[in-house]
Amino acid sequence: MSAIEQTLAHSGGDTGIGHYPQASTGNGEVPAPNLPTHSDVNEELQDDGPTIDIVINNVVCSFATCCHLNLKRIATEGMNVEYKRENGMVNMKLRKPSATASIWSSGKITCTGATSEEHSRIAGRRIARILQRMGFKVRFSNFRVVNVLGTCTLPFTIKIIDFSREHRQAASYEPELHPGVTYRIKNPKATLKIFSTGSITVTAPCVANVQSAIEHIFPLVLEFKGEDISEEELLRKRILKNKNKRPKSKPVVSYINDVDSDWMDMEDDSELDTSEESFDSEDSQD
Amino acid sequence: MASGSKGPRGTTLYCPEHPDAPLVEDYHAGDMICPECGLVVGDRVVDVGTEWRTFSNDKNQKDPCRVGAAENPLLDGGDLSTMIAPGAMGETITDEHGKPVYRNRRTLNSSDRALMTAFREISQIADRLNLPKMIVDRANTLFKQVHDGKSLKGRSNDAVAAACMYIACRQESVPRTFKEICGVSKISKKEIGRVFKLILKTLETNVDLITTGDFMSRFCSNLNLPHSVQKAATSIAKKAVEKDLVPGRSPVSVAAAAIYMASQASEHRKSQKEIGDIAGVAEVTIRQSYKLMYPKAHDLFPEDFKFAIPIEQLPAQ
Repeated sequence: MSAIEQTLAHSGGDTGIGHYPQASTGNGEVPAPNLPTHSDVNEELQDDGPTIDIVINNVVCSFATCCHLNLKRIATEGMNVEYKRENGMVNMKLRKPSATASIWSSGKITCTGATSEEHSRIAGRRIARILQRMGFKVRFSNFRVVNVLGTCTLPFTIKIIDFSREHRQAASYEPELHPGVTYRIKNPKATLKIFSTGSITVTAPCVANVQSAIEHIFPLVLEFKGEDISEEELLRKRILKNKNKRPKSKPVVSYINDVDSDWMDMEDDSELDTSEESFDSEDSQD
Repeated sequence: MASGSKGPRGTTLYCPEHPDAPLVEDYHAGDMICPECGLVVGDRVVDVGTEWRTFSNDKNQKDPCRVGAAENPLLDGGDLSTMIAPGAMGETITDEHGKPVYRNRRTLNSSDRALMTAFREISQIADRLNLPKMIVDRANTLFKQVHDGKSLKGRSNDAVAAACMYIACRQESVPRTFKEICGVSKISKKEIGRVFKLILKTLETNVDLITTGDFMSRFCSNLNLPHSVQKAATSIAKKAVEKDLVPGRSPVSVAAAAIYMASQASEHRKSQKEIGDIAGVAEVTIRQSYKLMYPKAHDLFPEDFKFAIPIEQLPAQ
């Protein structure tokens, strides 16, 4: 658990990539996978054979401000806000760390789009700071991470039909509804979506659970391994994926008024990029 | 037909000469007869036959042998009471002379009423899909179980009915696709899918996975394809799935593509649009699955298939 946070701190980018401490052999080759036995998996992350990246894509948190908020005032005076009257909430988007907060008039705020638990916390505090500067008596309370979404790509295809037949009690596969198998585990509590291409999506209440869920599922999935995907195909896929998800560097006209100097540093933002970044609000935060 | 029946005082009757022979009851005469010698052993058994005889030309009148409709003991509350009320909600139907007329009406509780509505809805869906009574009964039983559990209380009853019908078809090994159920019900496919998953969780059951073979006979007969083409398509689809040529594709799409391949190779060529209409699959989806299967077409066809058009000339799209 701590290993992931450390590597996140070191990564220094917006993507929270968690590398396993066991490095791959220099030139990007994957060492031959050894089937981890149960005792191996329980030990440490290193026994997963080849290095598998777990990317945390989204962290959802929720906190309260302990005071009533006047949404109309926020909508008129705030920067980067949208007021959705039919839902009764205000959406405020942050640039660094990139996140979107839904603010209700009761003072409860849900913050989505952050890429790690730390970022989520910082985003939450920033939002609270902005509201405080607007004059509300804000107190940052009840912060808790509600949901963490992580993805990981295994270097082999998976025979999901046989897999779902074997694990009928926990796996649910409805090809007409969704192309992936939905596998739920009780401890750690997590929901995994396993696809035949080898990609796995994990949704869990905390980052540690994402980690252990993948460890839990790896030996089960290894039984139903299809073909191995070569390293170049994996790289090709990764390049394609990153091409679609552009880093947020396209300038948008509507945010010209926003001045960065208004935003004070509340916390140690050493791991965050403090240079001026424009913010593309039209991009969906995956 | 008991081997010895209990008489009125609880003693077992038997024929004195054939004590082991099972006695036969004659309902209409009210006797218990030994089948070996014909001796009447017990008499004055209560006649359970009908009191009135009804003649077929007398259909316009109600059958006086029966009171109320046939009861639905497994599914309803087992309501045995009969209520007689002068008219619903104060509209007293008056006879001549101004006296209110009493009509025999059976009032249902509200819970039974919801059940009855749902059963009617289920039977309508079955009617539109030409499903036999067995599946209807199974769907009704499922609905009753779900209704008793009360965990899906907030969901629309029609959605639960449609999902129960879907599960019943699956459990009887004749699955209907979600799109087919959706086509005869006013609930969206998304909602039926959601309710389906909830019901499986509530009832803690599992259903078998759908396979390509489940849909072959229905789709092929709807397309008027001969049996040889159907057999070929079934084998193509099965082999395609076994060889994992179409990973991650829905079995319905694979089945549609297999039918396309088989029909194109035979004398009855069907277009992708026609097959897509019958199967509820988009044309591009058939095209995509077909493209994945086309390279190995040689291995997929069964050995004894008569090709009207050789494999090399099959369309590549």
